[in-house]
Amino acid sequence: MSDFQNVALQLAESQRSPDWLQSLRERGALSWSSAKWPTRKTELWKNTPLQPLAHDLPSRWAAPTAVEWQRDIEQIDIDATQLVFVNGQFMVELSSELPVEIVRFADADAAQREVIEQKLGTVVDAERHLFAALSNAWAADGILIQVPRNQALNKPVYLLNVSTPEAEPAVSNQRVLMVLGEGSQAELIEHYVSADSKQNGFVNSLTEVIVGENAQVQHYRINLEQEDLLHMGGVHVNLHRNARFHGFTLAQGSRLKRIDYQVNHRGEGAHLELHGVYLPRNRQLIDYHTNVEHCVPHCTTNEVFRGIIGDSAKAVFNGRIHIHPQAQKTLAELSNKNLLTSPTAEIYTKPELEIYADDVRCAHGATISQLNETSLFYLQSRGIERAEAISMLSFGFINELLTQVPEQAIQDYLRPRLTTLFGQGSELLGQLDYE
Amino acid sequence: MSQQVENLIKKDYAAGFHSAIESDTLPPGLNEDTVRFISAKKGEPEWLLEWRLKAFRAWQEMEEPTWAHVHYPEIDFQSISYFSSPKSMADKPKSLSEVDPELIATYEKLGIPLHEQEMLAGVAVDAVFDSVSVVTTFRAKLEEAGVIFCPISEAVHRCPELIQKYLGSVVPQKDNYYAALNSAVFSDGSFVYIPKGVRCPMELSTYFRINEMNTGQFERTLIIADEGSHVSYLEGCTAPMRDENQLHAAVVELVAMDGATIKYSTVQNWYPGDAEGKGGIYNFVTKRGLCHANAKISWTQVETGSAITWKYPSCILKGDNSVGEFYSVALTNNFQQADTGTKMIHLGKNTRSTIIAKGISAGRSNSAYRGLVRMNPGAEGARNFTQCDSLLIGDRCGAHTFPYIESKNPSAVVEHEATTSKVSDDQMFLCQQRGLDAEKAISMIVNGFCREVFKELPMEFAVEAGKLLEVSLEGSVG
Repeated sequence: MSDFQNVALQLAESQRSPDWLQSLRERGALSWSSAKWPTRKTELWKNTPLQPLAHDLPSRWAAPTAVEWQRDIEQIDIDATQLVFVNGQFMVELSSELPVEIVRFADADAAQREVIEQKLGTVVDAERHLFAALSNAWAADGILIQVPRNQALNKPVYLLNVSTPEAEPAVSNQRVLMVLGEGSQAELIEHYVSADSKQNGFVNSLTEVIVGENAQVQHYRINLEQEDLLHMGGVHVNLHRNARFHGFTLAQGSRLKRIDYQVNHRGEGAHLELHGVYLPRNRQLIDYHTNVEHCVPHCTTNEVFRGIIGDSAKAVFNGRIHIHPQAQKTLAELSNKNLLTSPTAEIYTKPELEIYADDVRCAHGATISQLNETSLFYLQSRGIERAEAISMLSFGFINELLTQVPEQAIQDYLRPRLTTLFGQGSELLGQLDYE
Repeated sequence: MSQQVENLIKKDYAAGFHSAIESDTLPPGLNEDTVRFISAKKGEPEWLLEWRLKAFRAWQEMEEPTWAHVHYPEIDFQSISYFSSPKSMADKPKSLSEVDPELIATYEKLGIPLHEQEMLAGVAVDAVFDSVSVVTTFRAKLEEAGVIFCPISEAVHRCPELIQKYLGSVVPQKDNYYAALNSAVFSDGSFVYIPKGVRCPMELSTYFRINEMNTGQFERTLIIADEGSHVSYLEGCTAPMRDENQLHAAVVELVAMDGATIKYSTVQNWYPGDAEGKGGIYNFVTKRGLCHANAKISWTQVETGSAITWKYPSCILKGDNSVGEFYSVALTNNFQQADTGTKMIHLGKNTRSTIIAKGISAGRSNSAYRGLVRMNPGAEGARNFTQCDSLLIGDRCGAHTFPYIESKNPSAVVEHEATTSKVSDDQMFLCQQRGLDAEKAISMIVNGFCREVFKELPMEFAVEAGKLLEVSLEGSVG
C-alpha cells in the first residue's frame, strides 16, 4: 500500500458517518487498500503520474472557511436550485431551499435512505475505478436527487463546489446520486471552482446517475480550478430503455485532474451524447478517461472531445467504446481533436474500440496539430492582429461544442472566460513561437 | 446453402501435410547449455555466444507480457525443443541436385518453384526448412551486384564485422520477452547487405516452413541497406498441419542508411488451428526498422495464419525526412486471435508515416489493431496518417482498435481514423442479384476492402494474397 492509500484510510476512520453507509464504506476501504497503486505500467494511469498526491500528503479533512471567497468566485448566473459546498461541506445559508426531490444523505427520511442504500455504489465499478473505491470508503454525506416517474424538475440543480486555501494539505469528498424514474427529466450542473489563490487541496468527487426508461438528463460538469488543486472525478451513468443522457464537460486548471466518464447502455434505444473540452495551460495535467459499455442492442453513442494544450501542459484522453456480443445495431462514434499551441505541450490520446457484435457501425477519429498557418495568414491579411487571430481560431476550434450547449447561461458564463484565456495565451505565444 | 457451407468448413487446410525427414533435434528444454549447444553446433565465435548468453540471462529475469488482447494456455518453455536441422544437411549440399529429394518434393507441394523459379519469377530464394537454411540460389548473380544474401549463420563467418555491429542494434536483446528469447536461441535466418548506391537486381525472398514436430522456430533476419541503396524483400510461410501448439518467436531488424529504401513484404499463412481452435502456431514476432536521413522503410503484411499473432512491425524515423509505411491485412477465422499493428516513432524533422491497417474477423476469431504513433519533441513538421478499418463477418467474432497517439511537438500533424462495420446487406444483395453466390460475393467485397494494401505487394505476392484470403474465408458465410 502506498503512503497515500494509508493516509486516506486513516482519514476515513476519522470521519463521522451514518451507520447505514457502513457496509459501502467497508467494501470501499477493502478495494481501496487491496488495489495496487498505479505506476507508469498501469494501463489506466500510464501517462498520469500520481506523484503530486503522494508529495503533499493530506493530513486532515478540509473545513469550510469564511464567506470571504464569494468576492473571488463568479457563479453561473442561472435560475436554479442552488446548492453550495465549500471544501466539501454543505453551506445551508448559501443554498436555496431544497425541493422535495433533493435531499442531503444526512437528512434523508426512511424511504430516501432505502433508495440510497440500494443504489449508491451500484453504478460505479469500484474495482476498475480506483478513486471510486476511495469515494465509497469516504462515503459520509452527499446529495440525492430523485425525480419521480413522469415528472420534471422545474428548475435545474446547480451544485457549486468551492475550494478555498487551507493552512495544510486537506481533502474533501463530494458524492452525488441521481435517480430518475421512468419518463422523468432533470438538469444537473456540477461546477467546481476554487478561490483565486494558492490551493493545496485534494478533491475526490463521484456522481452516479441512473436514468430510468424514457427519462432524460442534461448534465454539465464544469471544472475550473486553480493550478495547485488536485482533482479526481467520476461521472458514472446507467441508461435504461430509451433513456437519454446529454453531457457537457469542460476542464481547466489543476496540476493533476482526472475525470472518468463511464456510461453503461443497459436498455435498448438508449442514447448518449457527450461533449467535452479540455484546456490545460502552464504546467497542468488534465486526463479524461471515457468508457461506454454497449450491453444491449439498438443503442447509440456520440462522443466529441476537443483539447487545446498550451505552455508546458499535458493532456491525456482515452475514449473506449465496448460493444458486447448482444449489442447488435449499435451506432457509436467518437471524435477527439487536439491543438498543441506550444513546443513543450504534450498530448496522449487513445481512442479505443472493442467490438464483439457484427451488425454495428462504429468509428473513431483522432487528430493532433497546431493552428493552421494558412488560416492565420488569411485573418492577418484582413487586418486582424496575429494574437487576435490565434485567439479567434482557438475559440473556433471549440466553438462548435460551445454553441451546442443548450443552457444559455452556461454559454454566457464560459464565453468571456475562454476569450480571456485564449487572449492571454496568444499574447504569450506571439512572443514565443509564432513570430 | 448450409450444406455447401458445411462442406467448405470441413475442407482441410490445403497446405497441411507433414513430410518425414529425419532431423538432428535437441531434446526439449532450455538452459544455458541449450544456448551453448546451438552456438557450438553453428561454430559461432565466442562473442556471439556471450551475446546469446547475455540475452538468455535477461530473458530469465523478464516476465511474459500479458497486455495483448489474446488468450492462450501458458507456454511451457521447457517442453520445447530449441534446435533441429534436416539430417541431410550434415554434408551441406552445394547445389539443388544435392538436396534431399523429399525436401524438394515438399517445396513443390507448396508450390515453391525451387527448380524453375530462377527464370520464372526472377526471385532468389533462401529457403528455410526448419532451422537451417538449406539452399540459397542466385547467389552468384547477387554477388555480382555486391549484394550479400545468405543465411545469418553463414554471415557470421563471412562478414563478422557487419553482424557484430548491427545485430541487436535495432531490436536489443532485452527489448521484450520474445525478442530476448530469440536472441538467446535464434536458429537461423536471412542476412542481407546491399552496398552503397546499389539497387538490388531482384526481389529477395525467403520461404519459411515449420516441419519438425514440437520445434519452436526462432528466425533472425537482419537487412542492412547502405546509403542510397534499394531492396525489396519478400517473406512468406505456410506450415503443415499438426495438433500441438508451436511457438514461433522471430526477430527482424532493418537498417536503412541515408537515402536507402527497404520494402519488406510478408504473407503469413501458418497453420491456424482447426475449426475447434485446436492446434495452430503461436506467432510472437518483433520486427523493427531504423531509418536514417531520407531513408524509407515500408512494411506490407498479409496475415491469415497462426492461432495467435502478436506482431508489430515498427519504424524508428530517426533521420530527417525519413519515411515509414505500414500496410496490413489481418484476417482471422474460426478461433484465431490476432493482436497486430505498428509503431511509428518520429524523432527526426519532417518525418512522415502512413498506416493503413485492415482487419477482417470471421467465425469466433478476434483481431485487434494496436498501434503507437509518437511525435518526439524533435519531430518538427512531422506528419502521420493512420487508417484502420475492420470488417466483421458473423456475429461471434470481435474487432478491436487500440491506437496510442502521442505528440510532443506542435508542428507535427497526426490523423487517426478507424471504422468498424460488417459487410453491408446492400452490397451482398447487389452481388447476389447479379448471380454471384454468397461465398463469391464476400470474397469479392473483402478483396475490394483490402485493395489498398494489396496494391503495395509485389505482383506475384498480390495474386497469392488474394487467393489466400479466399481460402481462409471459406466457410465463414452462413
